[in-house]
Amino acid sequence: MISKFRELFKYRNLLINLTKKELKVKYRGSILGFFWSLLNPILMTLVYSFVFSVVMRTGIKEFAVFLISALLPWNFLANSINLGVGSVVGNSALVKKIYFPREILPLSIIFSNFVNFMLELVALLIFLAVMRYPFYKILYYLPLVIIVQIFLVVGMTLIVSSLNVVFRDIQHLVTIFMLVWFFGTPIIYPISMVPKNFQILFIANPMSVITIFYRNMFYSVKFPELMLFPSLRSILVAVAVSILIFFAGYFLFKRLEPRFAEEI
Amino acid sequence: MEAAVVLSNVTKKYRIVHDKNPSLKETIIHLRRTTHEDFLALDNVSFKVQKGETFGIIGPNGSGKSTALKLLSRIMLPTSGKIEINGTVSALLELGAGFHPDLTGKENIYLNAAILGLDSRFVAERFDEIVGFAELEKFIDMPVKNYSSGMYVRLGFAIAVNVNPDILLVDEVLTVGDQAFQAKCLTRIYDFMRSRKTIIIVSHDLDMISNICNRALFLYQGKKIKEAAAAEAVREYRSFIEEMELEKELAASGAVQASQILQSAERFGSGEAEIFDVHLEDMNGSSSTHFRSGDDAAIVLKVKFHKDVDDPIFGIRITNELNINTYGTNTYIKGKRTGKFKKNEEREIIFRQPLSLIKGKYFITAAVSHRDGKRYYDWRTNIAEFTVVDEESSEGVANLNSEIVIK
Repeated sequence: MISKFRELFKYRNLLINLTKKELKVKYRGSILGFFWSLLNPILMTLVYSFVFSVVMRTGIKEFAVFLISALLPWNFLANSINLGVGSVVGNSALVKKIYFPREILPLSIIFSNFVNFMLELVALLIFLAVMRYPFYKILYYLPLVIIVQIFLVVGMTLIVSSLNVVFRDIQHLVTIFMLVWFFGTPIIYPISMVPKNFQILFIANPMSVITIFYRNMFYSVKFPELMLFPSLRSILVAVAVSILIFFAGYFLFKRLEPRFAEEI
Repeated sequence: MEAAVVLSNVTKKYRIVHDKNPSLKETIIHLRRTTHEDFLALDNVSFKVQKGETFGIIGPNGSGKSTALKLLSRIMLPTSGKIEINGTVSALLELGAGFHPDLTGKENIYLNAAILGLDSRFVAERFDEIVGFAELEKFIDMPVKNYSSGMYVRLGFAIAVNVNPDILLVDEVLTVGDQAFQAKCLTRIYDFMRSRKTIIIVSHDLDMISNICNRALFLYQGKKIKEAAAAEAVREYRSFIEEMELEKELAASGAVQASQILQSAERFGSGEAEIFDVHLEDMNGSSSTHFRSGDDAAIVLKVKFHKDVDDPIFGIRITNELNINTYGTNTYIKGKRTGKFKKNEEREIIFRQPLSLIKGKYFITAAVSHRDGKRYYDWRTNIAEFTVVDEESSEGVANLNSEIVIK
């Protein structure tokens, strides 16, 4: 496995170039370019804010910030998986003609989404500063949370992208699965709204713990009474599950990799 | 000598699934993949390529050539058997692989170079050279979707020539493009050969294979037929194809065969015409086998026709003792129409030329083919020989008879 990682490192130049390609191609020809990646969550936040604060009146304070602090990390996960699922199948010309470690294809999708995510976070932090949020208070969690999330994102994307080569149904399943996952994660509602006996179900989802941390860092710092940390046990479970998914994804991908050139 | 590539008993089986990409539902219901057949793309093939060798792989379509290259480049793994590779490998299986239509030529250079395993800094240094080589200075900031197919291939090639592996794998790519382009490709391959790199080429261009390769492998339906010196493997392949065409024709016509020609690597053909004698004559018209360097000589082909034949091509090739092709020509190259030949006619075809060769022993191969240049009526390897005498012992093959002046 170490030799596999070393080989991947040898191909880092390809990974960087493919990531750049993803970023360039995404916004080439659109007038607003990168701003779409900011505009998109902002517009979504406006729509949800209207529905939840004006129509349904959930009474959540400053709903826009409440939502966007969880929506940005979710978008990183969801975009990586949704775009990553077809990354091997969609590059059949490359896979059939050139040798390189195939995980570079889904990884380049993840990396480009990660770059977007980072830029969005910078924009969010600037916005929070302007809005006088004490966002700096527990920001030291950020690197750790991001690392755990990356394990989860990479693992999931490797799983779906390699399975999709063998079963093309996966890409359709993923769409539904992501919808269920979205509503199964406390993004548009706080975890405290979930009935007590259901909460365990939500906490078993590592994305819940990750989301709760992001929300604490960006939103709840202004409303300390809403600050809510999952128990140490659920944190450990979330970390363990994320790492487990990472390795499961990696081994599944490597297991199926020899079949790629023949199956697509 | 050290081996660059060793294949031992390599088999590659493709599974031809009758319904490609079964759905999850089917798989779950049947608990197995849908019905399939196995197809042996390579059947227990072993061969060895030495370091510094230029090695050709030939065979008709579907013989497993491309599969062999894909296994060597690690795009696929063998079903069984062992592949040993000593050194870095680059495969030129497709030009411009991974070009993105929306990116500019410049951006695609970096992307494609990365795909081929080239370092970005290295590409930055060579950037102008690459653009110049592709002759795309004016268009380099334009998206490649606006390129013509020629520009596309040129750019792909300009990037690809920069790969510098220990072992280079080349697929049919070199046979695309115009002549100037092919010449460029060959120049690059010669550079590679000169720097003693290992090259493995798959091609249908048999003349190219026998000219530039040291050795060649002849595959047929996934099986190794012959691994030998390139010229020999090509000869074997030609006679093999000839025989197959013959069988096909026979099966098609059901008629009595015109040919009494025994098929072998040395002699093959469908027999509509038969070369029954080749000899050389000196300036006075008398038969001879010894000539002084530079003497005029006539090479006389005596040909008997067993069928009516229209405008066939007659050709000769002169090789030296090292089996190096020193000269070859034919009536087609010379732009000479040969006219009609009747059944049972016997004719002489005379090639006249000065023998500007260095001293040594030479062999003549003669052939007559259908006017398409592909189907041979009769091919005779080394059917005649002659000796060139000279007091000088010059080097090389040709005697250009230099006059030396000192000023």
